[in-house]
Amino acid sequence: MLRLDRRLLLNVDWPLLATALFIIGLSVLSLWTLVPGRGSSVGGSALAWRQISWVGIGLIALLVVVSVDYRSLVRVAPLLYVGGTALLLAVLMLGRTVSGARRWIHLGPITFQPSELFKLAFVLMLAWVLTFRRDESLSRATLIATFAIVAVPFLLVVRQPDLGTALVLVPVLIAVLVGVGMRLRVLAACALAGVAALPLFWFVLKQYQRDRLLVYLDPFRDPLGTAYNVIQAKIAIGSGQLLGKGVSGATQSRLAFLPERHTDFVFAVFAEMWGFIGCLVLIAAYSLLVLRGFEIAASTREPRGRVLALGVTAVFATQTLVNLGMVTGLLPVVGIPLPLMSYGGSSMVASLMGLGLLLSIRMRQFR
Amino acid sequence: MLALAVVATIGFVGLLGQLWYLQALEGGRLQEMSDKNRIRIRPVAAPRGILFDRSGLPLVDNRPAFTLSFIPREMEDRDTVIARLSILLKISVAELQESVDRVPADSLRPVRVRRGLSLEDVTKVEELKLELPGVIVEVEPQRVYPTSTFAAHLLGYVREVSEEQMKHGRYRRGDMIGQTGLERLLDEHLRGRDGGERIEVDALGRPVQLMKREEPNPGAQVITTVDRRIQEAAEAAMAGHAGAVVVMDPRSGDVLAMTSSPAFALDQFTGNLDREEWLRLVRDPMTPLMNRALQSQYAPGSVFKVIVAAAGLQEGSLTPADRTYCNGEFHMGAWTFKDWKEGGHGHVDLRSSLIHSCNVFFYQAGLKVGPEAIVRYARAFGLGSPAGAELGGEKPGLIPFVSPPRGRHGRGWQAGDTINVSIGQGPVLVTPMQVARMMAAVANGGILWKPRLVQRVDKVDGTLAYATSTKMTGHVDLSPVVWAFLRNALVGVVNEGGTGAAARIPGISVAGKTGTAQSVAKSDAAKGQDHAWFASFAPADDPQVVVVVLVERGGKGGQVAAPIARRIYQAIFLDKVAMVTLGEES
Repeated sequence: MLRLDRRLLLNVDWPLLATALFIIGLSVLSLWTLVPGRGSSVGGSALAWRQISWVGIGLIALLVVVSVDYRSLVRVAPLLYVGGTALLLAVLMLGRTVSGARRWIHLGPITFQPSELFKLAFVLMLAWVLTFRRDESLSRATLIATFAIVAVPFLLVVRQPDLGTALVLVPVLIAVLVGVGMRLRVLAACALAGVAALPLFWFVLKQYQRDRLLVYLDPFRDPLGTAYNVIQAKIAIGSGQLLGKGVSGATQSRLAFLPERHTDFVFAVFAEMWGFIGCLVLIAAYSLLVLRGFEIAASTREPRGRVLALGVTAVFATQTLVNLGMVTGLLPVVGIPLPLMSYGGSSMVASLMGLGLLLSIRMRQFR
Repeated sequence: MLALAVVATIGFVGLLGQLWYLQALEGGRLQEMSDKNRIRIRPVAAPRGILFDRSGLPLVDNRPAFTLSFIPREMEDRDTVIARLSILLKISVAELQESVDRVPADSLRPVRVRRGLSLEDVTKVEELKLELPGVIVEVEPQRVYPTSTFAAHLLGYVREVSEEQMKHGRYRRGDMIGQTGLERLLDEHLRGRDGGERIEVDALGRPVQLMKREEPNPGAQVITTVDRRIQEAAEAAMAGHAGAVVVMDPRSGDVLAMTSSPAFALDQFTGNLDREEWLRLVRDPMTPLMNRALQSQYAPGSVFKVIVAAAGLQEGSLTPADRTYCNGEFHMGAWTFKDWKEGGHGHVDLRSSLIHSCNVFFYQAGLKVGPEAIVRYARAFGLGSPAGAELGGEKPGLIPFVSPPRGRHGRGWQAGDTINVSIGQGPVLVTPMQVARMMAAVANGGILWKPRLVQRVDKVDGTLAYATSTKMTGHVDLSPVVWAFLRNALVGVVNEGGTGAAARIPGISVAGKTGTAQSVAKSDAAKGQDHAWFASFAPADDPQVVVVVLVERGGKGGQVAAPIARRIYQAIFLDKVAMVTLGEES
């Protein structure tokens, strides 16, 4: 299984891998500087070491993914998708609740977040459906099928409730449909239907999710409650100014004013320490990853690889943009980790596996 | 595919735009906000200045005390915190609630909730610190007193500034300020300037490090004119009586002691005086909050005969040779005026009338001298206007205007009024401080001093903030012969078996005049209980102290007030240490 063609190795996308590892390096560095905060007895260096071990596991997963032909993965996509959906269901039934959201499954000493891994199964499934019939044009049946494979997990994830993951699925679907050449008229019709369905969506939301959306519209609605995160993150980022406050000067992070600072809001920690210059470098790295992903998709002739690369890149891009958008106050706080930066095993392993898919697709285009 | 790449790029560029906005354009403001997050400024209360007596003995002191405070912004779940604290310290929820309701909910300045926390309570709070976010215990200097009622009216109490007082600016919420007495008069000097601490705190409000400390500037030290030993002696002598004592140096007007009883407990105000206790103090029929030495007005009784004698001798309407026979009654028209002594004093002259306080003689003398002269001399001796002790609320007393008799309906001045006034009754009221000033003038030959309570105020660095000098505010012009006669007669009151014999001390020549003033009877029970006066000075040939004693509803001046004065003189002259003290200052 791990038999790797030498020619394949020659085609490894080293810049892509290097950029990803660079971002991971920054993640470990940022975690290292955090002191234990509210409710956690874990210090910064302990967090960093754990993150490093997650990176190790993620890299092994990446190697596994790379060594397998992605086409065979697409072939078993329905199985993975059903398995993933079952896991989501399991979370809903017996998951662990953390701050109002039930996202984790407890397996002995390990807790993990099935929704992170599900995103990959979802992308594989999309590729499977869209390439099931060999013709290029998009049939109505195919379209309905794709909506179905979004709808089921969407409802499950929203009920978890994990608004972030659910919201990621939608732009990914749109991106992939656009990528495979869906006509704009159809897309517009779908968008219209989506907007019409928005009020319905409101009723599905939990109260705290509604609060967050309202706070997004008016952050000073409740300065000590829901908006606290947003305000503190803005203060952290802004007080970094152009050159940053350095590690010891980053009081927002060090003194724990910033909540969720090692997970969803890790970018604010980074921005406080390294300022606008640092952010420029980090965002450049993320853009490089995303654009490279799109380039891989564009240059792939093989349909399954093309849809898959597009999907993985879309997941990555959406998560990154939504997370940065919410941390900088442009978007509502919906609880999405920053890929490769936020502390957390599930997210790290899933991101590296996604990266593995991209590497695998690119390697295999030159045979 | 290109479209997607463009969308993603636009997204990233948009992010950079937002970051530029936050970090470059808004950076300075947000930097300030982050400092505001982490930096707390805690006021450090300045120790109040100390008040000393004339020989350097402290009259009050400070000691560190614990104050329970809230930081409203850090109280996460206010209701829970208040409920916990209420159970823990047995303070009512309403009281706690009220103290936080007065300030904005996001205020970072500590709000003082309760002062004078016991060590036990402090321990309880510290143990539960994590469950009580926003609750801190501050250490502040607090007043302590030698005894809780010592010189209560003179010193005055210190209490947290009221909402009403805050309206005039100058004070900040939670400031402790002098509310009465010297504490109020000198509050500006005594208060000092509070310092502050800049503390870096974490998100839970726990201090991480002390960044800067600005030391408080302690209040200035006040050297008063009071002699602590005499003050203590006067209070001890008055124990169990309601009334007032004023001890004054007739050579300078320095107030050596001033007491009013019943007194209140000064330290009751330093901690938390609850509403009920306050109302009890205010509604107490014995008015413990009133400084009787300055704020109560009484008929002077026979003490006033000194004025009548002085006026008559100086104006020539009386001579030492005037004699009369006192059979205990004086008739004028249909009216009969009685002497206090049944059967009368027999043959009396001016001197013996003073010594034995014969009323009948003075009824006649008053008519001879005339009301205009009596009133003029009373005013010259400082009666009828405030003595000028500057403690606030001082009463002017009452010396009437003599108006000619008017028609049938108007009631002008009548001979009966003159008769009453001649023995210090009727429309004549004085305060003990006024009497002390008057007796000082008799002792020193006519100088009316402004009562002096403060000698000087020294700043902490030893420099002088201000000093007061003795101040003469009037002079009574009598011929030396008249002064000598008056002093001689007053010595006789004490030393020749007169009404003041109870004040006699072998070896010290005390001069004085007793007075028994009819009180305005408020109820039948109080009827007949007269105010007892004894106004005196000693030694008669070189007067160093004036002692005025007033006992409310005490009975006869000679029986009640004179023995109290005697105990005070004993403490002054027979206690060698006190002698030395006086000697040094004179």
